[in-house]
Amino acid sequence: MRANQAALLNRRTVLAASAGSLAMPFIARAQANPLKIGIQSIFSGPIALLGTSSRGGFQPEIDRINATGGLLGRQIQPVYRDSKGQPQEAARVARELVNTDGCELLLDAEASSGAFAVQEVVRDLGVLCIHCAAETSSLTADPKLRAPTAFRSARQGVHDAIVGGVHSAKVAEAKKLTKWATCSPDYAFGRDTTAQFLEFLKHFAPNVETVSQSWPKLGQPDFTEVITKILQARPQALYSALYAGDLSAFINQGNVYAMFGAMEVFVPAMGDLPVLTGVKNLPAGIQSACRYLPAFPDTAANEAWYEAYRKANNNDYPTNWSWECATGIRLMEAAVKKAGSTDGKGVAAALEGLTIDSVFSTTGKVTMRAEDHTLIDYAIGWGTTIPKAPFLTAIEPGDWGQIAELETEWKKKNGYV
Amino acid sequence: MASGMVRTRIWRDILAGCLLVAVLAIVPALIPARAFQDFVIRCSSMALFATSLNLLVGYTGLSSFGHGMFFGLGTYSFALLMQRTGVALPVAFLLTLLITAVTAVAVGAICIRLRLIYFAFVTLAMQMLLHSVVISWVGLTGGDQGLMGGIPRRSVLGVDLGLQYNLYVFSAVVLVAGLLLMRHIVNTAFGTSLRMIRDNEVRAAFLGIVVWRVKLTVFVLSAVFASVGGMVMSLFVSGAYPELINWPISGDAIFAIVMGGIGSFLGPAVGTMILLLLNDVVTRQTEYYGLALGLIILAFALGLRRGVLDFITERLGGRPAGGIS
Repeated sequence: MRANQAALLNRRTVLAASAGSLAMPFIARAQANPLKIGIQSIFSGPIALLGTSSRGGFQPEIDRINATGGLLGRQIQPVYRDSKGQPQEAARVARELVNTDGCELLLDAEASSGAFAVQEVVRDLGVLCIHCAAETSSLTADPKLRAPTAFRSARQGVHDAIVGGVHSAKVAEAKKLTKWATCSPDYAFGRDTTAQFLEFLKHFAPNVETVSQSWPKLGQPDFTEVITKILQARPQALYSALYAGDLSAFINQGNVYAMFGAMEVFVPAMGDLPVLTGVKNLPAGIQSACRYLPAFPDTAANEAWYEAYRKANNNDYPTNWSWECATGIRLMEAAVKKAGSTDGKGVAAALEGLTIDSVFSTTGKVTMRAEDHTLIDYAIGWGTTIPKAPFLTAIEPGDWGQIAELETEWKKKNGYV
Repeated sequence: MASGMVRTRIWRDILAGCLLVAVLAIVPALIPARAFQDFVIRCSSMALFATSLNLLVGYTGLSSFGHGMFFGLGTYSFALLMQRTGVALPVAFLLTLLITAVTAVAVGAICIRLRLIYFAFVTLAMQMLLHSVVISWVGLTGGDQGLMGGIPRRSVLGVDLGLQYNLYVFSAVVLVAGLLLMRHIVNTAFGTSLRMIRDNEVRAAFLGIVVWRVKLTVFVLSAVFASVGGMVMSLFVSGAYPELINWPISGDAIFAIVMGGIGSFLGPAVGTMILLLLNDVVTRQTEYYGLALGLIILAFALGLRRGVLDFITERLGGRPAGGIS
């Protein structure tokens, strides 16, 4: 009997100990009460660089916040999810992050189409979300599409078009460039960006005439036909909204035809490190926007961020998306602290008009504009390529006063104001 | 006698459907997991789509590789009608069915005279054509960015489908109603004609069946049910995106049919559940989703050599309802 009782006790002890040890992680988790932030992007497929370089921007910031006691005294637990570049999957993932994983905040590093899908989920759920990679202007510019708790920490297409138009018009005036050709990807982004660029270029340089337009397919491996068409039109200048792998292929193939010596070339997406380092023989003299470079703004703080990024990310180069994501989480951190909670409405109110210190600005500060929930005062400028680091020189910063003025005109024209 | 049995079966099916809706309506009170509701909404959409494709593949022997065009047409037509016109949701719903039916008549008139691989490829080409139109017609469809801005006036008879629970119950009702209608179709004399055409088209013609008319009818019917699935998806994502009308979406429906069972009426619905569960679970674990899913499907294909429901039916000693063993 005693032996049986002892055996029973033993069993009970073992069962209790097992249950206790099984429950320990849950108890510990409940006690720690981490602050879950849902982070979604494209981590697979041909544009996985969007996801990996976005994560590269987020994670060091999360580590920094956690190392200094967390946010509102809670350790941040990022929950990364892959949307595979499908908008319907982006919507599902956003819902899952909030409804299943218990994320209190969202950081969305989706491409524009995914971001629009996430925007609708955010509108439904009322969770605070910062879009960190979508550049399509209407996401925040169009009041019909805007959501009360959604913000954008990414650059905006129309800002790039204005600064590009101003800079290119100056070069066009100085070098008497009147005959222009364009070569941009054949989908909404390529066509919209090109139309906006030409609109602002012609605003400042009315003599400009478009002599040829080419629309290569996305991912097109051979640009021979396009390059031949451009050369036959004999333009004095070429504008291209190609980017990433397509741009590298276009530059490499254009080099074979000595295209870059035959005309002045304007490529806004050139100034990103993966492209600048990915091109075999980077031609000198291409006019480009600065997407992200450690030399712009040319400050010790920006250089330090660049070095820290590479150290934390297997020596990979940061992309334009990396600084946008780092800015997104820094804004979120400041707003949550200001609001004292993670409530969507509260943090949204704190974010509106919020200004924070930033290494990604020529003035050292960026602001989340209250009226349309989009970032302003970030470093934006155009320069000229050279074949070696720092790759872009004579970078001329955009004037944010002028950007705001022209942006308002553009909004009025599109019925957004 | 026979008609009495048919009536009994119909009532039994309706009762089972009502029970399913009732159970689903109660579940959120017991398990307040909103993810489950999301899952049911997506599952309703894709199950209707996959089952409608099985009317062609499993019951008529027409392997359509472009059935997703009608799913996508449903999402775009419905979203556009809701955004651009002031019509109420039920009206937009009915108009979408009409638009899909008219399109399906035009597409079907070209495709159904072709056989086997030619039919498959022409349907695929039609879907690619429609996808290109969506991408190119930026002013109407938003091009590759999709139709943005959400779906307004999401209410049916005073019920706001903007609320997740309401959309969840609505999706369940639409799913059950759609499945009941399709089940009724395959159990009628028309359904028998479909199976006869699948098994021996020449013999069916000799028996007096006007083959092209039956094929065209089932093509249009399956398109209409696919568009209903598309409308549910449109309400879920609150818009329409080109990925929903691109050819891989047709591949998803084919996967669902293959995994669930081509010979069982509920096979595609079961396959959809498996596919979505796999998607949700695998995506949480790894970024190599395609690789993991490919291996799992390979295991299904080589291990079971048929869909799950066909496998179970055969193990229980039955014969799949579709008559394919």
